[in-house]
Amino acid sequence: MKLIRYDRGYSRRKFLQDAATGVLSTGVLAPLAEVMAATGDVSKAYPDELLSIENYTKGRIKTGDMIDASNVEAVKDLIEPVRYEQILKQGRKQKIVKTTTDIMRLSPWEYVEATLRNSGKAGFDARGNVINKADGGPWIGGNPFPDPKTGVELFAAQTLNWGRHDASFYAMKLATTDSDGGERFNYSGGWAEMSPVARVSMEPKPYWPAHKDKLRFQSVFFLTPQAFRGTSFLNIWDYDHSTFPQLYGYVPEFRRVRQFPTNQRFEPLVPGLTLYLSDAWAAGDPLYTWGNYKIVGRGPFLAGLSDSWNYADDNWEHTTHGGKKGKSFWDSTVQLVPEAIIVEAEPTGFPRAPISKKRVWFDARNQVVIGMVTFDRNGKPFRSFDGAYSLYEGGGKAVMDGKHPYWSWAHVTSSDIQSNSVTRIQQVRAVEGQHMSGANDPKMYDKYLTQSALQRLGAS
Amino acid sequence: MAGPYSLRARLAMFVLAHRGLSYLLFALITAFFAAGLPKVKLQTIFSDLLPTDDPFVQVFRDHPNFGSPLTMMVMIRRTDVAPGSADARPTIYNAETLAKVWQMTRDIDLAPGVDHDQILSITTEKARYSEATPGGIDMRPLMSDHPPTTPEELADFRLHVDRAPKVREFLISRDDSAAIVMATFIEERVDYGTAFEHVQKLVEAARDAHHEVHLTGQPVLFGWVYRYVWQMLGIFAVTMVLFVAALALYMRNVVGVLTPIITSTVAGIWAFGLVGWLDISIEPLLMVVPLLLTARSFSHSVQFTERYYEVYAQLGGQPEHRRKAAELTMSVMLAPSVLGILTDILGIVVVMAAPIPAMVRHAIFCGMWAVWLIPTGVVLISLLLATLPPPKNVERLIGRDRQHSGGVHRRLQALLAGIAAQVTGRAAMRTTAVVVLASVAIVATASRIRIGNPVEGTNLLWDHSEFNAAVRAINANFPGVNTLEIVLEAKDPTRPDWTGQRVDTILTEIRLQSLLEHGEAPPRATLAFADYLSEASRLFNGGNPKWLPLDARERAISAAAVGAMMGSSSKNFGHVVDSGLQHSTVSLWYPDNKQETVNAALKAAGKAVADVGVDHPEFTVRLGTGTIALQEAVNRVVERYHVLVVLAVNLMIFVLCSLAYRSMVAGVLLIIPVNLANEALIAAMHLLGVGLDVNSMIVAAIGVGVGIDYGIYLMSRICEELQARGGHSDRDWQAAITAALQTTGKAITFTATIMALGIAPWYLMSGLKFVADMGLLLIAIMAINMVLSLVVLPLLVWWVKPRFALRHNALLGESVEIPAAS
Repeated sequence: MKLIRYDRGYSRRKFLQDAATGVLSTGVLAPLAEVMAATGDVSKAYPDELLSIENYTKGRIKTGDMIDASNVEAVKDLIEPVRYEQILKQGRKQKIVKTTTDIMRLSPWEYVEATLRNSGKAGFDARGNVINKADGGPWIGGNPFPDPKTGVELFAAQTLNWGRHDASFYAMKLATTDSDGGERFNYSGGWAEMSPVARVSMEPKPYWPAHKDKLRFQSVFFLTPQAFRGTSFLNIWDYDHSTFPQLYGYVPEFRRVRQFPTNQRFEPLVPGLTLYLSDAWAAGDPLYTWGNYKIVGRGPFLAGLSDSWNYADDNWEHTTHGGKKGKSFWDSTVQLVPEAIIVEAEPTGFPRAPISKKRVWFDARNQVVIGMVTFDRNGKPFRSFDGAYSLYEGGGKAVMDGKHPYWSWAHVTSSDIQSNSVTRIQQVRAVEGQHMSGANDPKMYDKYLTQSALQRLGAS
Repeated sequence: MAGPYSLRARLAMFVLAHRGLSYLLFALITAFFAAGLPKVKLQTIFSDLLPTDDPFVQVFRDHPNFGSPLTMMVMIRRTDVAPGSADARPTIYNAETLAKVWQMTRDIDLAPGVDHDQILSITTEKARYSEATPGGIDMRPLMSDHPPTTPEELADFRLHVDRAPKVREFLISRDDSAAIVMATFIEERVDYGTAFEHVQKLVEAARDAHHEVHLTGQPVLFGWVYRYVWQMLGIFAVTMVLFVAALALYMRNVVGVLTPIITSTVAGIWAFGLVGWLDISIEPLLMVVPLLLTARSFSHSVQFTERYYEVYAQLGGQPEHRRKAAELTMSVMLAPSVLGILTDILGIVVVMAAPIPAMVRHAIFCGMWAVWLIPTGVVLISLLLATLPPPKNVERLIGRDRQHSGGVHRRLQALLAGIAAQVTGRAAMRTTAVVVLASVAIVATASRIRIGNPVEGTNLLWDHSEFNAAVRAINANFPGVNTLEIVLEAKDPTRPDWTGQRVDTILTEIRLQSLLEHGEAPPRATLAFADYLSEASRLFNGGNPKWLPLDARERAISAAAVGAMMGSSSKNFGHVVDSGLQHSTVSLWYPDNKQETVNAALKAAGKAVADVGVDHPEFTVRLGTGTIALQEAVNRVVERYHVLVVLAVNLMIFVLCSLAYRSMVAGVLLIIPVNLANEALIAAMHLLGVGLDVNSMIVAAIGVGVGIDYGIYLMSRICEELQARGGHSDRDWQAAITAALQTTGKAITFTATIMALGIAPWYLMSGLKFVADMGLLLIAIMAINMVLSLVVLPLLVWWVKPRFALRHNALLGESVEIPAAS
């Protein structure tokens, strides 16, 4: 018999104690950053009850169990209020898998290496932009704040690089279900993003000198439905963390680029999606268009961080369940995250925002966003964004990203809990057989991220 | 004469002999129904007030979101020229007014249940202007991140408005004096009452010496109705106090007051409990009818109790006579009471013939309430009379004690004797001439009544109500609320390339708009998804208005649709195309909803639909929904069912009365006064400029069903008096009629008075015109019925001198052989 040295109350007391003193010191038994740097594993930073759902729930739920309406009360404290309501009332289910402790399985390999390599080198300049303290230039790669002390540090890292690759292309399919459970909108297309700074894989590193003043090129285009075929958007982000990105839209039939209001972030890109521009990866807006970042809590959480890639399907497509017609939610897996850091922020730069604040859960192990809920101006839950990440290996198969298996998101659930519509987004292997998901392809810029690229895509 | 061994006599004897068991049974049944009370729902389901079989209502039910039923509209209007303004007339282009619009837009987002994605005003980012740039098109919000304050910012804002063509039609009034803030609510989340109270507070706070602020929209109407539902509880309390006061004044003894209260309360518990158990919601707009039933229950109890007093006095008037008196009273009153109540039931349930769900629920609720008056008003009352302490003023109440008889009673009897003198003997000829002439005039006038009762806004509320004033103000400054929607219904609502943006759909919308705009009776504005596509086409092609006409190719139309919708939610177009982009509508705005406008609009729309064709490969064109179509649907149901309902209730009551009196002549004599009363009411409505509507249909049916009671009571009494006198001479007939009028006529007067008293507060105090109108009509019909039954029925009896009146009627006869006083 194995004795549990630290009971559940110990972790809770530790989290509360830190909150009371205003200190963010990740790890319960030992400082997390130090443990990870020393061992590459988080096990020594947490007691057993934070590494195993069986221990946490005192055996009521085990690895391999399905969380559903019958047992969700046992994990109510481990999920966002929106997910709780969906599981309780809308038939959402999630399967529990083992907690990942190896940090190399929680982010792209090169990103983790750069994070460890560049630890301690990041700071903020007078405008609040993340810089390499050594030369005052833009950030040089990896997570700038692997041992975060403030909410803004967590958000800064997230806003700097959503996908954690230097460049990513996601072939994707999207579907929205209404409150009646029926699918109203189905789209397919591609999402491309590339960082001209903080590069760890693609040459030139760490910057692309010609675009050192930019944070990101990002585009999205649609292939279906036919009406939207070739319709695309291009975002060009300034490195300055207070400047709104330029947003262009292109409709092939008109052969004209349309520029959108840059600060109109609380609308979807295309009709039917339950996803504001602002919601993307919980950090869809420049860092300082939001404010009053503050850490409001810490504790264990349930999120999808492994086993989320559907190796059984040739095109990686996921199956669904729940809602009135069995189409509202992804079949998904979650694991007990030993420590999530909960940060809230307010839309201080948006005097017309329909929301009062967002609450975002970050995984302390890799600082990825594992959940977000926005609240309307009455403080009621409004929207949520919860994704699932994974190393793309399993079932004897693997998708390689250079020398290592590909790490990326697998699917996202974006919900409007007030109107009960849900947008499901999934990363698939390819759309129309020619646009393939993958990372760090140098051709990506010319293929997807310029205005002429959009016009070419529109003509195809 | 009620034989001692008749069924009703045996029943009466059994009940009174087993009082404990009877009370226990009543207690158990009452407890059962009382357990259903917590489940009672008082709820107005507005769509259930519409006839289900009407084609317009079917379009409305299939496409409930067209016509913006979940949208509140706030209009902020500047009433004077702002200081420093360069304008000679009031406009919104000043810092104060625009700040108000900004703040209202922000605050309405806090309303509970609002859809945060569907708030629209000139201050939101959704209201945009556009300009062509060398690289493409730049689209920006009309207003920057704050309301303009400096002259430069105000000038800029005005310039932006000039570049946004539709804004000056739908968001800013054409004369620039008013702006609209629109907020749409989520049906599953909105509580209309709380949402309305929230926004109404904002509206009241925003009003000042320089600004009018008006609030309208369906959710607002619901909110006002909910507010008045609470008011109804207050009126209900007032009504009850009046009932009890009237009883106390009339009876002046405990038994006389307590008995009607207890029996009516028990009937009420049974009625409410039943709908609680049946899970049927009660329509508060029709609460006057249950009140009428309570009044009926009270007046019925009074008649029953008075009869009991007579019997009690005849038996000797000692406490030990209570049981025997109750038994005899129950025995003689059972049949006439049941007949009277049955006619009430018929009058209430016959409106079920009209396919209006709220009426059907109402008929079940009130019809069963009326049914419950039989056990409570016949059996329970007998038990109570046999149990409660006997009154000390019996002699006075039955009019024998002339010395102490109340002045009211005496004066009433004198008045009724006067009426008797006018309807019998020589005066009868003169009275008949007057009645015939008046009847001809009444029928001629009534025949000119028109169907429909249009008011600008809603006829649920008073014309001077804040809501209807808001509707008028908004109609005067914007396209308004009088819409007709022609729906293009997708045949395959799951079609992946969205029927709402197909070439045939868009071109059909454009053609419909063109036909109607250039035809007879053109609407004041039209809007369809096609308009947004034209605007997108113009913008993406460089901004020149020559690009407004759409290129009729599938790809070009699709592109225009994409251009219009990219970067926005499909909800932003929910008023013209459904959230799945499949079904769409052409909205037509008309200046008012007068019947002439409605007729012309529907005629023109029908012709336009025929021109474009109803059946298309991908969709069906359906006319239509919107306030104009729904008003017509209600008019049509009144037109179809008003006469039918009256005929049906007439037929059923004729059969019932003919059977009861075993004479068809009796049936004819009885239904003449009630129908004349109905005609008189319709004639009065016509003279007052009021048309027939759903209210009048309900009132007409109840008027016959309840009004006939007066005739039955009076006829039965005339028969008895006649039989007592032999009926061989005119003198006997005259004496019988006079005696009947002085006794039963008095009861009828009391019944009519107590009903008028009960309903009057609903007319005088209700903020809901619908309820007040129904109250007024019911008071009127009951009063007319009373007068006509006291005048016309005796007159008819006098002239016809029917033979059935001389026959003893075992069923309805109220005479009773009283055993010798002990």
